[in-house]
Amino acid sequence: MPDVTLTVDGKKLTAPAGTLLIEACKSAGIEIPSFCYYPNLSLQGACRMCLVKIEKMPKLQTACTTVVTEGMIVTSDNEEVRQARKSMVELLLGNHPLDCPVCDAGGECELQDMTFSYGAAESKYMEAKNHKDEQQWSPVVFFDRPRCILCYRCVRVCGEGMDVWALGVQNRGVSSIIAPNKEDHLECEECGMCIDICPVGALTSGAYRYKTRPWEMKHVGTICTHCGDGCKTTLGVRRSDSGMEIVRGDNRDKSGINNDFLCIKGRYAFDFAHHPDRLMQPLIRKNGKLTPANWEEAFELIGKRFAEIRDHDGMIGVVGSSRITNEEAYLLSKFARVVLKTNNVDHHRTADFPALAAALSGKPDSTATMREVYDAPAILLIGNNPTDQHPLLAWQIRNNVRLHRSRLYLINSQTIKLGRQAAGFTQIPAGTEGKVAAYLAGDDAAVEAIITEKNSRETWNALREKLRGEQKLVIIFGSEIRGNDVAVLVKFGSGVHGAKFVCLADYANSRGAADMGLYPDLLPGYHRVADTGKFHDEWTSIPATTGLTLPEMVDAAKASKLKALYVVGANPIGRLGLDPFLFSKTFVVVQEMFLTETAFMADVVLPAANAYEKSGTFTNTCGDLQILKKAGEVTGTKSDFEMIVRIADAMGFDVHKLVPFGAGERTDMGQSRGAQSGEADRHAVWLEARGLEPKMSPLEPTAILDEIQRLVPGYDFSRINLLAGNDQHTTLANSGPGAIQKPELIVPANDNLFSSGTLGRYSKALHSVMESRTQQTSEVAAD
Amino acid sequence: MPVLKNIKAIAKGMSITFMEMFQPTQVENYPDGPGPLRGARFEERYRGMHVLQRDENGLEKCVACFLCAAACPSNCIYIEAAENTETNRVSGAERYAKVYNIDYNRCIFCGYCVEACPTDAITHGHGFELASFNASNLIYRKEQMLAAAPAHMGANAVFNSADVAGGAPALPVQGS
Amino acid sequence: MKFSDEFETRFTMMARHYPTKRSVLVPALLYAQDEIGYLSDEVIQEIARRLELTELDVRNVISYYSMLTTKPRGKYNVQVCTNIACMLRGGEELFAHCRKKLGIGHKQTTQDGRFTLEEVECIGACSWAPAIQVNYDFHENLTVEKLDKVLDGYQK
Repeated sequence: MPDVTLTVDGKKLTAPAGTLLIEACKSAGIEIPSFCYYPNLSLQGACRMCLVKIEKMPKLQTACTTVVTEGMIVTSDNEEVRQARKSMVELLLGNHPLDCPVCDAGGECELQDMTFSYGAAESKYMEAKNHKDEQQWSPVVFFDRPRCILCYRCVRVCGEGMDVWALGVQNRGVSSIIAPNKEDHLECEECGMCIDICPVGALTSGAYRYKTRPWEMKHVGTICTHCGDGCKTTLGVRRSDSGMEIVRGDNRDKSGINNDFLCIKGRYAFDFAHHPDRLMQPLIRKNGKLTPANWEEAFELIGKRFAEIRDHDGMIGVVGSSRITNEEAYLLSKFARVVLKTNNVDHHRTADFPALAAALSGKPDSTATMREVYDAPAILLIGNNPTDQHPLLAWQIRNNVRLHRSRLYLINSQTIKLGRQAAGFTQIPAGTEGKVAAYLAGDDAAVEAIITEKNSRETWNALREKLRGEQKLVIIFGSEIRGNDVAVLVKFGSGVHGAKFVCLADYANSRGAADMGLYPDLLPGYHRVADTGKFHDEWTSIPATTGLTLPEMVDAAKASKLKALYVVGANPIGRLGLDPFLFSKTFVVVQEMFLTETAFMADVVLPAANAYEKSGTFTNTCGDLQILKKAGEVTGTKSDFEMIVRIADAMGFDVHKLVPFGAGERTDMGQSRGAQSGEADRHAVWLEARGLEPKMSPLEPTAILDEIQRLVPGYDFSRINLLAGNDQHTTLANSGPGAIQKPELIVPANDNLFSSGTLGRYSKALHSVMESRTQQTSEVAAD
Repeated sequence: MPVLKNIKAIAKGMSITFMEMFQPTQVENYPDGPGPLRGARFEERYRGMHVLQRDENGLEKCVACFLCAAACPSNCIYIEAAENTETNRVSGAERYAKVYNIDYNRCIFCGYCVEACPTDAITHGHGFELASFNASNLIYRKEQMLAAAPAHMGANAVFNSADVAGGAPALPVQGS
Repeated sequence: MKFSDEFETRFTMMARHYPTKRSVLVPALLYAQDEIGYLSDEVIQEIARRLELTELDVRNVISYYSMLTTKPRGKYNVQVCTNIACMLRGGEELFAHCRKKLGIGHKQTTQDGRFTLEEVECIGACSWAPAIQVNYDFHENLTVEKLDKVLDGYQK
């Protein structure tokens, strides 16, 4: 669109035609106050705070609803405008209680700021204020009606942004109120977006309510540890008797790929970290009982036993996690091969990345970032239900359709909520996703399996033609597509101009665990164990034979062949429903936060830190690499990284060969301190800018990042951008050959909005929401 | 005549001395004086140990807004807030200070906290006998500052195992 | 939930007037209220379903318009205007009289369920003030005596 020139406060501005005046001013650094205006939501024009003087217009105009025109002359700040704003604040304060000292929003309240900028010290309104008692709408949402200034941001973000439409406006005029969808409570996705977007303290969070105040906390922008989308969540931390306690999660730092979005897990489910059942001391099985021990004792025992078993050619199995950092996953992968000298490495697979790596080999720019999902002109989604399992992805798709008129093609065996946004929804019989891929790729015979009453051969033909005609199509697929089907789908994609792929995995670092080679047949970067190459040169002596998968390790344990099992942050016994006595002849070491089913029968249990308590990097399901910043701290735990290094050390292994680190020097990169939100770690940036590579202790994960960047293809990202908190896209195009593995090893986590594996089991916030649900349904059932 | 001048000056000076000799003494006999203050005297504006006031219903005035902690230049105030419930009502508003500590190792008695307090909950009393052989004794808890006895006694009330719980005055302690 | 055939014809006809479904909401609610007397939960559910709206959306609109009600009313809804023109010509006296005569207040219903009394804003009958509206019928240029007759007419 052509640019328009206008004058604001004597400054000449140019903005594309169609820009709102308030946005044009903002980009020129002229601030126009507003409550109801929120970027990317529909215009409301309710608060009248953004009034400006426009020449040749008789009255003051709202900048949030006025579109810039050629030659427009605007005054954003003069006596008349200021007077108008002052009156607006006075009106808003007419019924707003002055309980700032007890209000949770105090200190980060937009009304407070406006009152300081424009408000009058005294009010003309002498009438008594209307008081209404606070209401609890759900376990996590509280509503204080008198504080509400009726900006309708919550109503719009819930409806337009989340497509939930759980909030509405009832009555009219001064008696208007925000109302929940079920008379006195909410039935919604509990995402808490309404709380975050509320400019005042009308909507407050049940988890954070009355606990502290914004300036009392340190705000650390880190990556959420729940699903595979990699949202940036800002954790508010306070000192406490157990170290640093996380008191709140919100979306203050909007620099992440999630921008405005956070779901219930990112916002409230940090509380597992302070669960009373958290392990805070190593446990060693003595006389059949797990008894508290000290760290030295534990490492010594593990080191001795592991070394013994390795040297007597006993079988050792290693199970990694999809929630440990890239550095830890890489280190674990290396530790198994180099120190334990075994390829028996596995983890809970939730998506087929090795097959995708194999299919995308040599195809640059073939994976989409999470940001691209928001901009793509067309999206094809096969399988999965992102609303439940990938809330951010669902948000990106939804808002892409809403704001950019993107076309969403949905192929699913269920009717899912995103169907409301779809340009075309095609329901298929369950389990025929692979046939869809085959048909799209040109196998006309495959259509037989997917023809239903609704979708004839012609419908499928038309859909395929439409998809082939799309440009820059983003193809997203769930774990339903695996094995050879992935290659078939990629074949279809290569026929579409500029098509990119997203493979959906379920845990925070599922992609990282795969990229870092937690596979019995693959090394980091999807290099085959059997092939010789750079890893053989760097790591030296890698066992050449393919190792055991997790089910094979279980079988080996049944046959009493498995002598030791090293489990890092996983719960195979609970997940696979195994007999706990299966491993009674195996020396089992578990690194875990809680006494899970697996930890319960272990010989040594080491209390681990979670992702909120350590630094490192996560790769989300799209391949976006982001840095973790340490927020909380629980005394008595160690990061998995440190524990792996310590075990190697206890086995008598030269730690230098495991983690390359400098002699004598030690640098804190700031992540371990948790730099302030949105703030780059200046020290690290400075070092990077001068080409200096800080050397550090072997216990700091950044020590191994060099090696990851050097050896793992696709991880050649800009370190300075990473450290500054930006997301960096990693690619699969130059990966090793990948592999086609047994498809039955992929088991989706099937978490919904309110569950999150082991972490979810120990989150009170998630439990309270689920309990309130079941209560309500049982009440209804009783009727 | 310089000599005469000097004698005159000495006489004048000595006359004041003699005059004052017969006036009542102005020396504060602290700590051997009478009364609960043991001879100490204070101006009203004296900034001594803090007193956390109660409202007319005997509820704590402090609503745990953290403004004192924010205003404190020496960062000596530590608060943990909690929500009032039907059964456990501590302050007049929605929340109260579950923990309210002042670290007198750090406090510089500047009075900013008193200035900042929106509910007039924290005030400066006249307590000044804060010296201790153990620095950890100088972290005062809410119970010590809310004490029933006048502030300067309040400082020692806990250590004297005087009646603290429930012994708080129904009325604000007036600048004691 | 089943409506009468009359409702269905009115509804279908009205639906043809608008390009979007939700525009029929207010007429549909009025028709339903005419038929049932008030907007029950069932009615709200049914209309929300037909117009592809959430129940909350429907409730929002109902709460906006004072003519729409979710509580049962008496057979005759006596609406007394006390806006400026009627007020100057004695509307408030009429309202006070109604209250005394029917023994109920604003938005209340008599025991026998015959009358509901309501004090309303301008009903557009200023030229014939003071005026009241009973259901859809207007009674204009009233005095207390005339009002008595009007109300007695409805008693039968």
